[in-house]
Parts: sequence; C-alpha cells; structure tokens
Amino acid sequence: MGIPHGYDPGPVGATLTVGSARFAHQSEAELARILDFYQVAWRYEPYLFPISWNADGAVIESFAPDFYLPEIDLYLELTTLKQALVRKKNRKLRWLRQLYPELQIKLFYARDFRALMVKYGRLNFLADVTAMNGNGPLNDR
Amino acid sequence: MIHDDVEEVLLTGDQIHARVAELGAELARDYAGRDPVLVSVLKGSIIFLADLVREMEIPLAIDLMEVSSYGASTESSGQVRILKDLSSSIEGRNVVVVEDIIDTGLTLNYLLRYLHDKGPASISICCLLDKPARRLAPIEIKYRGFTIADRFVVGYGLDYDERFRNLPYIGVLRPSVYGAAVPE
Repeated sequence: MGIPHGYDPGPVGATLTVGSARFAHQSEAELARILDFYQVAWRYEPYLFPISWNADGAVIESFAPDFYLPEIDLYLELTTLKQALVRKKNRKLRWLRQLYPELQIKLFYARDFRALMVKYGRLNFLADVTAMNGNGPLNDR
Repeated sequence: MIHDDVEEVLLTGDQIHARVAELGAELARDYAGRDPVLVSVLKGSIIFLADLVREMEIPLAIDLMEVSSYGASTESSGQVRILKDLSSSIEGRNVVVVEDIIDTGLTLNYLLRYLHDKGPASISICCLLDKPARRLAPIEIKYRGFTIADRFVVGYGLDYDERFRNLPYIGVLRPSVYGAAVPE
C-alpha cells in the first residue's frame, strides 16, 4: 500500500491513482500522498458499514469511510462536496457513530482540507482542482 | 504594534512569556537530576526553545533537528527526510521534544518513531501551541502551553512562507495574505 519511494505526484489532474488505489476525487489522492509522505499506512475505503435495514433485515444503506489508518486505528472521511451532499453525509456519519460507537472516525471538511493545503503551500493544487471540476474542495462552504 | 498582515493578536508577548516560565519551572522540577536533552525541531521552535531553557535552572543539553515538509519538497523525494540529524547520541537519555505547534501530528509522529529507534530512556513532548482540530496522529502531550482554535497563526517563531517569525506575539494571519487567489 502506498507510494513507492521517489514517487513524483506530478501535475494536479494527471492521475487519480496513488499506488494501487483509485480515488473518486483529487483531494483524496492528495491526502493519500500526504500520508505516504509522512509514512502513515492507509487503506482506501476498505470497509463498508451497513447503517440502515428494511423490515426484512436487508441492508438498504451503507457507509464506507474514505480512509482507514491501521496503525492509528482511525477512519477518515473527506467531505469536499457541495453543502447539500455534506448534510447527507453528516446524517450517515451520525448513524455510523450510533451503530458503531467503537469506531474512531475523523471528518475532514473542505475548510480543513483547504487549511492543510495552505499549511503545505499547495494553493496551486486548490486552484487547479477548482478549475478542473465544479465540485472541487472550494465549493464546500 | 500589530503587523498589517495580522488580523488579531491571539497571544501577547506577556502571555507567552508567563506561560513559558510556568512550563520551564514544571520541566525543571520534573527533570531535576535527570540531565535531559531538549530536542527542538527547526525552524519554528527555536524562539520557544531559547526562552524555555532560560526558565530551567537545571543541567540540560539541547539539540536541533530539521525534517522536510510536504509541499515543495514533495516533488524531490516523496518521503519525509531528516534534513538535520541529532548532533549527539540520545541513547539512555531523557528526551524532551520541544515543538512550537502540533497540528495534524504527522511530522511529530514520524519524528517520535525515529527518536524511539535511538534508544532514549524516555521521551516526552512539550509544545507551545496545541491545535487539535485536524489531529490525525495521536500525540501524547505532557507539557502544553496553550490549546488554540483552528486559525492560521504566525509569530514567535511561526511563519508563513518564512515571514513573521520575528513577531513578539502570536497572531492570526489575514486570509488575504495566503488566499488572495483562492476564493473563501
């Protein structure tokens, strides 16, 4: 898992793949690169947690946190989506916490991700991602 | 006088010095007779370290390390690297890691693993600012100056793009300084 030593992430938008994982969003790929940089092991969406069942007991809704950091035993969810989708995700997350209280899960909102990019001097990344797609991390406000 | 690029003074020089004196006294009490090594991480921690050790009236040693940061250095290696290693062995020594600020904890998490491999007798963490909002790696902080909210702070060693380290206080940087081209 992770990026081989010497990996060059290249220009933003060149790939949504880091190591063997394929990401849904550039911000997730960037976070994976950060974790690799600091040698923190991660898995991308390794588990699917059922959170809602119908009367017959069949699962009708599930939730897969974006990352699991096995050494830290922490799940990480990156919500760099539009506000309406964030609300939906927040609701799912509440259910997840109620049903699986033993899970440690951290929510990273768009503002957290933006702050991380500022900290690492990656403002160009933010600008490029915003320009590339309409639901980039800057739209979550 | 407040710098034009600072929108708010979060901690005045007097507040910082009072708290640093308390931390120094606490460390001096806990480490009396233990000959500690205070290991500080360049560059942001040097002002804190300089003030802290002058509040500790016990025998001690200091050492400095520097590690690469994600961002500009990413293109060259893709992995965190030790840019400046310890000058002396810490095997069997009582180590206090002195940090200016702990945010995600990723740098310190790496550094602690590295230092543990050097065989110290003990390691504890002393940080001036604890910003837990975005903490990813769990860090046990024994000596903590202040817990702060999720703001971009500069001064008293903390920089933005190598500026503002010399401010005598800790202030909140105006977002326009770092995000003028990035819509809020």
